[in-house]
Amino acid sequence: MQYDFDEIIETIRMTEIEHFDIRTVTMGISLRDCADKNLEISKKKIREKIIRYAKDLVKNAKEIESQYGISIANKRISVTPISIPFDSYTSEEFIEIAKTLDLTAEEIGIDYIAGYSALVQKGMTNGEKELIKSIPYALSQTKRVCSSVNVASTKAGINMDAILMMADIIKLTAELTKDKDSIGCAKIVIFANAVEDNPFIAGAFHGVSEPEVSLNVGISGPGVVLDAIKEAGKVDLQQLSEIIKKTVFKITRAGELIGRKVAEKNGIPFGIVDISLAPTPVEGDSIADILKAMGLEDVGATGTTAALAMLNDSVKKAGLMASSSVGGLSGAFIPVSEDAGMINAVLSNNLSLEKLEAMTSVCSVGLDMIAIPGDTPSSIIAGIIADEAAIGVINDKTTAVRIIPAYGKKAGDLVNYGGLLGKAPVMNVKMLANSNFINRGGRIPAPIRSLTN
Amino acid sequence: MKLTEEEIKKITYETINELSGNLTVEEIKEAIKRKILLTKSYDLKLKERKIPPERVILTAFGLNKPGIIATVTKALADFNCDIEDLSQRIIGDFFTMIMIIDISISNKELKEIQNEMERIAKELKIKIYLQHEDVFRYMHRI
Repeated sequence: MQYDFDEIIETIRMTEIEHFDIRTVTMGISLRDCADKNLEISKKKIREKIIRYAKDLVKNAKEIESQYGISIANKRISVTPISIPFDSYTSEEFIEIAKTLDLTAEEIGIDYIAGYSALVQKGMTNGEKELIKSIPYALSQTKRVCSSVNVASTKAGINMDAILMMADIIKLTAELTKDKDSIGCAKIVIFANAVEDNPFIAGAFHGVSEPEVSLNVGISGPGVVLDAIKEAGKVDLQQLSEIIKKTVFKITRAGELIGRKVAEKNGIPFGIVDISLAPTPVEGDSIADILKAMGLEDVGATGTTAALAMLNDSVKKAGLMASSSVGGLSGAFIPVSEDAGMINAVLSNNLSLEKLEAMTSVCSVGLDMIAIPGDTPSSIIAGIIADEAAIGVINDKTTAVRIIPAYGKKAGDLVNYGGLLGKAPVMNVKMLANSNFINRGGRIPAPIRSLTN
Repeated sequence: MKLTEEEIKKITYETINELSGNLTVEEIKEAIKRKILLTKSYDLKLKERKIPPERVILTAFGLNKPGIIATVTKALADFNCDIEDLSQRIIGDFFTMIMIIDISISNKELKEIQNEMERIAKELKIKIYLQHEDVFRYMHRI
């Protein structure tokens, strides 16, 4: 037979038992040609353009799904950072744009549309300021729109004014969506070194250097890696790294195949495959469980950062070999609410915010889906964002903060969103004052690393 | 290949338009025949290009019982699917079968074959998966 019996069984096991799936196929659509002085015309152009390219996205993805027997969990859309084409708009007008995006997403049957974004690492235009001010209202008045703001980069440094503003925006969003456990905050990502082709919501946007339209794929297979590690038994770390690489290689190849086929079916160019290990709240689909299988009692134990670093690096290396279109964030995600093992580690007091921060210096993104007490002051939230941005800027990597100051909740409570967003225990935050530092404002200059020319 | 009346009319008009005047009926007939022939071969070529050899891999698991292979292969034969390779293992009471099937000449779409296999799987209380060969090729072959 052309394929070994075991090879075929391995694939079936990955897709049917170990939850290997394509986490998302995300169509990136440029909206740069949709701006008009007249808001109504802009809205019409946006709707028409998105529908023109993406009307069959869901249908086509479903067909490919059944043809190849690999499930595609989410079908989504990212657009040009809205502040760029519509820079002349006011907050009120931006909110109207958000509503149009929301309605259009509903019309074509997708659950999230991302790109209500601004890139302000060095400074803000008037339009960007207006967009950022509108975020809490836009997110509380829509269901599907996701927002992100890039506040720092290795080349530009850290825009502390923007961080201060974002801390207030997050607090206000939490308040405006208090009826739903402050869910609005789950749809805001604050980035350092944001990437332009990330397919993962909520932080996705269609960067300015991207083509008119492209299709990016995010794969996910923590369960597959977990089982491979368990099966390996007692091997040394070099061998373990080999095993992780071999496994990730296979799922990346499958991811690229599916991405190309979906792109082909939609008649648009294929962009990248993002080889991230993205957990879900489902049992066994967990990064925490991988770290435990590597030999830790629980996430948060000493050695956690080293184990995660190795995992993240092995994932990247395998992906690079498997596909020449690797992009996006590509690594291991460590969200709290979306990973059953991480939730348990927090609940049993094994994992603190400080350890999570250390882990983000070696994982692919950052502090993700973390609930903190609703009365946490803005300056403390700004401090958390600034720390995370510093890790990204100095290490020349993407970092992000998606934090939920859950309105009316205190440490030890639980916020529950259900579905892929999962549930998050409200974590304890150190309340030591930092405002004399944070409120200085201005910009932390770009590090020595930025001078590479 | 059979042409409908509508298509013959269309070809005739096209041919007459392409020809210059002062022709006998015979000459026109000849020209139309040539045109139809050309259309035929063009269509055939298109068809050949449209259907590349498509192979799917069928995997079936479950408790062993008489008639599994018979039921599955009967259904595949009814759909005009060509079984290119077959391998099976029985470990204890557990049965695993893998088939490589060419569905390019089948009159059914993959989806319809999958639906039928799902029905059979329920009836026999086993699991049957049908996946395009490319998944395995991409994952296990460089």
